[in-house]
Amino acid sequence: MSELSELGKALLELNEEKVHLLVKKKLETGESPDRIILECNNGMVEVGARFERGEYYISELVMSGEILASVMKELGPMLGTVQQGPSLGKVVIGTVKGDIHDIGKNIVVMFLKGSGFEVIDLGVDVPAEVFVKTVKKEGAKVVGLSVLLNSMFAAMKEVVDKLAEAGLRDQVKVLIGGSPCNEDVRRFTGADYYAKDASEGARICKEIYS
Amino acid sequence: MAGDMKPLFEERLKRYQAAIALEVPDRIPISAGSNYFAEVYGGYNNQQMVYEPNIWVDADRKFVQDFPEADNLRSGRFWGPHHDAVGWNLYRLPGRDLSPSVQFQFVEGERMKSDEYDLLIQNPVEFMFERFLPRALNDFKERGSVRSYMAFLKGGMAAIMWGFFARNRIMTQESELGMPLPMAGVMLAPFDYLADGLRGLRGIMIDIHRQPEKVLEACETIIPDIVNAALSIADPLRRYPIFMPLHRGAFPFLSPKQFDKFYWPSFKKAMLMLIDAGYTIRAYLEGDWGPNWHHFQEMPKGKILCDIDDKGDIFKAKEDLGGYQCIAGGMPDHLLILGSPDQVIDRTKVLCETVGKDGGYIINAGCGIPYDTKAENYRAMIDGVLRYGRYHEGPTEFEIQMNPNPPAQWKPPPRRVITPWEVKLDELGTIAGDEKIIRENWESLEHRAYNWLWSWAW
Repeated sequence: MSELSELGKALLELNEEKVHLLVKKKLETGESPDRIILECNNGMVEVGARFERGEYYISELVMSGEILASVMKELGPMLGTVQQGPSLGKVVIGTVKGDIHDIGKNIVVMFLKGSGFEVIDLGVDVPAEVFVKTVKKEGAKVVGLSVLLNSMFAAMKEVVDKLAEAGLRDQVKVLIGGSPCNEDVRRFTGADYYAKDASEGARICKEIYS
Repeated sequence: MAGDMKPLFEERLKRYQAAIALEVPDRIPISAGSNYFAEVYGGYNNQQMVYEPNIWVDADRKFVQDFPEADNLRSGRFWGPHHDAVGWNLYRLPGRDLSPSVQFQFVEGERMKSDEYDLLIQNPVEFMFERFLPRALNDFKERGSVRSYMAFLKGGMAAIMWGFFARNRIMTQESELGMPLPMAGVMLAPFDYLADGLRGLRGIMIDIHRQPEKVLEACETIIPDIVNAALSIADPLRRYPIFMPLHRGAFPFLSPKQFDKFYWPSFKKAMLMLIDAGYTIRAYLEGDWGPNWHHFQEMPKGKILCDIDDKGDIFKAKEDLGGYQCIAGGMPDHLLILGSPDQVIDRTKVLCETVGKDGGYIINAGCGIPYDTKAENYRAMIDGVLRYGRYHEGPTEFEIQMNPNPPAQWKPPPRRVITPWEVKLDELGTIAGDEKIIRENWESLEHRAYNWLWSWAW
């Protein structure tokens, strides 16, 4: 865990005014936008840690994401190829066909990106074939299936089955998450893992790619 | 009601009301507010249940025929054509936007902007017509167009038609099937109006950081309107609880401190107004409300049936709420969907012997019975209750709570009107006859129409 800069701390404390003040000062003194983003990302990692410890809740996650997004917007034209270090790996994620909920999925995406993964977010209501095609194209080792509805167990199983049909089952781990998921559901769907929340999801992805 | 169905109707109603009132009925009630399994049991799909009222009664008959031990049946959630008349975009519907065999689903969106709190607080009518409704109703985007006028006309007509279909269904449920309703009328927690349909989740989560005082003020402002809207469609005889689907009070959306500050105060106030009007409440505590449900201890005892969702710990709920409020739940959704009858019976036995002890408990899955419940599992749950969930032989000793009148001295919260009678009277000039019967109808329609506007907010 890196020591947080003043900017990272301000983001962690959700001090919008201070974040923008510091970003402005840094730009004026010629600091590189990439470095600014790096400091912010370190702050975000700490936000995630506080969420995991039960000190921060969803409103803090959303607020920190909002502040980060506004910093990104401000730096936008100045950002070259933002070098954040090598990606930890690719994760394909989406809400399965039939389900259009994405709040949980979007939080997971935030955690994964914050942890250093390259995330291919397929959105919602994603057909099994699209999951399969994308895994194949990206060579991802992890596919995350998100659901809110308890009527989606068969749809999740279909993704797992279609991965097997396509001969991809051995090269990708399937991770399911969302309100109705648990160990019994995991077993029924044939998925490899079930994550009870976003931080566990990120942890499992780290394990898979380690 | 048909004479021979009256005893069965009363038996079910007594059992349900007794449990809610923390009296011990003859057995544990089997009651889901949202029995999705029952909806599709008769072979109709989700789209048909949303679009075709003529099959509703048949669907109910088929379910009750095979599962007569269930204690109530819902009168439905939506009538699709009502949505289509105005282009309501808060929900995707089966058969229209989604596969015909999939549940209707909420569409997140920011239909109130972050700088519109002052308008909502100071002039809710203008807020509704100028900001929220044009964003929530696709047919009202081009205000002033003929289509936008027709949308309101069709919407109003559709609302009345839907009311007719629902009443017809309810009458059949009550008199032919002897089935009470699990709930009638609906209200959200004030915070959830903002968090769901108005600001959306992202919006409200930012608002509580950037403009907390506005959030609080807005929650207070809307209370009279939402209470009046709820009371207008609640059971006139006060037999059935008013439904409250509750969302953002769950962990981990808000911290307990944020819950105490933002969610609870206006929620408590609004609930007390419903209770003071002579009603009970059926509250779906959706998600995991574990850290926050202790607040229900503050409320009048035996007035709020708390549905504990799949993610909540039913045993902890009984510990925390036992003796304060009745709880429902405890049958894991996945067990009804994926499990075996034996597993379901075993679980039912456990529930009957623990959380079911001494009353104050209704068996249910997570705020409802899942669509994909296997019939043999639902049957097993019933059989388990009959075997292990009986408190005593003989009927429930309880006097049915039924009252067409509110408590003495009760007054409704201020009813908002858009065009007060005084203005209309001024336009009419001298009234030639009985002013009262003209005024009463004018105001009644004003209230109805205003409530209809709020029905699009969630």
